[in-house]
Amino acid sequence: MLSAWRQMTPQERRGAKTGYLALSPWMVGFVIFYAFPILATFYFSLTQWTLVDPPVWIGLDNYVRMFTRDPLFISSLKATTLFVALSLPLKLVLGLMLALLLNLKIPGMNLFRTVFFIPAVISGVAVSLMWIWFLQPDTGVVNTLLSYIGVRGPYWFWDLNWALPSVAIMSIWKVGGAAIIYLAGLQNIPAHLYEAAEIDGAGKWRRFWRITLPLLTPTLFFQLIIELIDAFKIFTEAFVITKGGPLKATYFFLYYFYEEAFRNFNMGYASALALFLLVVIMGCTVFVYRTSGRWVFYEN
Amino acid sequence: MKYRFTKKAVLLVTLLLLLLASVGGAAAQDPVTITWWTLASAESPEPAIRAVVEAFEAEHPDIKIDVTIMAESAYGDLMNTALGAGEGAPDIAYFWETPWLPHTLDITAHLEADPDLSRDDYFEEYFNNWAVWDGKVVGLPFTVGANFVMYNKDVFDDAGVDYPTADWTPWDYIEIAKALTDPDKRRWGGDRPRGPFRAIWRNIGATKPYSDDSATVDGYINGPDSVAAYTWLWDLVDSGATPTPADIEVLGTEGTGPVDLFIAGRLGMATLNNGHMITAANAGVNFGVVPEPHVPENERFVHAWALRASIWAGTEHPDEAYEFLSFWAGPEGQRINMEIGALMPSLPSVLADYPDAESDYFQGFMGVLNATQTAEWRASHPCWRGAVIRSVSDAWDLIMLGEIERDEVQATLDALVEPAQAALEECVPRLGG
Repeated sequence: MLSAWRQMTPQERRGAKTGYLALSPWMVGFVIFYAFPILATFYFSLTQWTLVDPPVWIGLDNYVRMFTRDPLFISSLKATTLFVALSLPLKLVLGLMLALLLNLKIPGMNLFRTVFFIPAVISGVAVSLMWIWFLQPDTGVVNTLLSYIGVRGPYWFWDLNWALPSVAIMSIWKVGGAAIIYLAGLQNIPAHLYEAAEIDGAGKWRRFWRITLPLLTPTLFFQLIIELIDAFKIFTEAFVITKGGPLKATYFFLYYFYEEAFRNFNMGYASALALFLLVVIMGCTVFVYRTSGRWVFYEN
Repeated sequence: MKYRFTKKAVLLVTLLLLLLASVGGAAAQDPVTITWWTLASAESPEPAIRAVVEAFEAEHPDIKIDVTIMAESAYGDLMNTALGAGEGAPDIAYFWETPWLPHTLDITAHLEADPDLSRDDYFEEYFNNWAVWDGKVVGLPFTVGANFVMYNKDVFDDAGVDYPTADWTPWDYIEIAKALTDPDKRRWGGDRPRGPFRAIWRNIGATKPYSDDSATVDGYINGPDSVAAYTWLWDLVDSGATPTPADIEVLGTEGTGPVDLFIAGRLGMATLNNGHMITAANAGVNFGVVPEPHVPENERFVHAWALRASIWAGTEHPDEAYEFLSFWAGPEGQRINMEIGALMPSLPSVLADYPDAESDYFQGFMGVLNATQTAEWRASHPCWRGAVIRSVSDAWDLIMLGEIERDEVQATLDALVEPAQAALEECVPRLGG
């Protein structure tokens, strides 16, 4: 880097300095609000710390406990993984379907787009409270509608087998946000490709599989990573609605982290949990990134 | 020349001394500033807080109060940060978290020397549970709160059931709840407890989740008294006379109990608190108050709470801080909050002047304030509140979901011993017993 700097002309150096100056607000923010806290978290994960007393160095004890004698670590990881497996395909597929509908050229489409996007900007707590009403077993909207067709709806959040699927179903609520991203991707697909395919006699289904889907894969790739990270961070629903129950069915990883940090005053162990989640998310992201060469197609 | 220099030097030194004296004099006259972090609520609203400051400063012109009224959501973070850093904490604040207690000033000597205030001025149980820690007085109890059973007299009259009396048992509660339940009117007889080892657990058999030395779970959480209490819960759930957790979640007031159902007449009895009591009174509900049921041969317990008003151990002005603390959490400050807000003071002499103090329901409430409190488990044992309760919550969920039979209660509790013991052993060395 130093040799590259020496090889620059004075004019290039001035340009580089301006560039670094322009970058500096972000760099300062990154160092203060991201890099330093991550490093601090790593340090605290090697300590026993109650927040109000000085941290005590305990080496790898928190990690040993996590991997060898903490059943809640396993159950929270299991609940979170199940949630990711359920909610991620739901959001990706339904988001795409919604985007295809919102891409139709019919009157009033801008209004529909706005309406479908609105849920994505509503606070998670408000949405959670609303879903409690939706899925209330006796008087909720969903079970009332089911009762009209003779179906006795489940106890949803309060049923051992339905609690986690209920939270996954709830995550669909924000699918409008994903749909808007897909919509941008759809509108970037050149119209002449569709025209050529139509002239060649390709039907709607074939055009979707041969043109739309391949050219939408960069957007799908982006959405997959964003939704994956978002799904691993599931917290609000457990905090507001289920409190991790029943029987730990929705005891998600971040909820466990929260309880350890702020209810159990075990900030050292909570730091270790946070770092583990960081590694898991990073690992999944790298995996998706590495495989993207096989299924993501760029127009050029 | 030398003489002139000496004269000038003497003049200069004199001037400097005069300057220093004047600055020192001014400093001596400057009032001491005490910082106070607090929260505004319906019980202690901002005007009451300001009025306390104004009244105190009028009485103590040598002490200024620098009050910061915070949002509750930020309060804990700010206290944790300041206490953890060892600097920047307020002189006076609520020290409600147990890990904050070692950072409070021991005010035992101050209180003993105080001619205007003594521990006997407070409700004894509230003082012992909320002001005393580790044998020291570490604060003063501000306000009182308690759970008790509120019963809707109109619902009882409609069902032709006698009102409950203070000598009722937990099994009476189930029978009365069944008698009040009327599916046609969408009415339940009573509610369910909202957590184990609260008052009714103690009232059934002095049940504790683990030994007093915080070392042993076996024989406590799965002991005969605990099994009896959990079996009582099983019977209550099985009776069908109570709303399900789903009903409570939707129709009850957020996390604090089913007061809405009670006010609407859809719940004959509910274990509520004094805030709910005032809400129901304002809504014109015809109701009475009794303590939670207990087994006659056992001592009666009540689930109760107060706010611990304390002085930070790092204060530079302990005497002045105590002056303000004893004013704010003493008779004058709590009376101001009672008159401007809706605070229920922790001093019997002041609470006796509460606007509704003569009413039947308020007298019933006063009756629970001297009962022995379960606070020792709920607040003073951080390991119970954090780690252990989480490991034993499965038994609670299984009963609430109707997933186990009555004769499986013992085995279910036996299965909790190992995780609860592990949680205790992890937590006690870290947070204390």
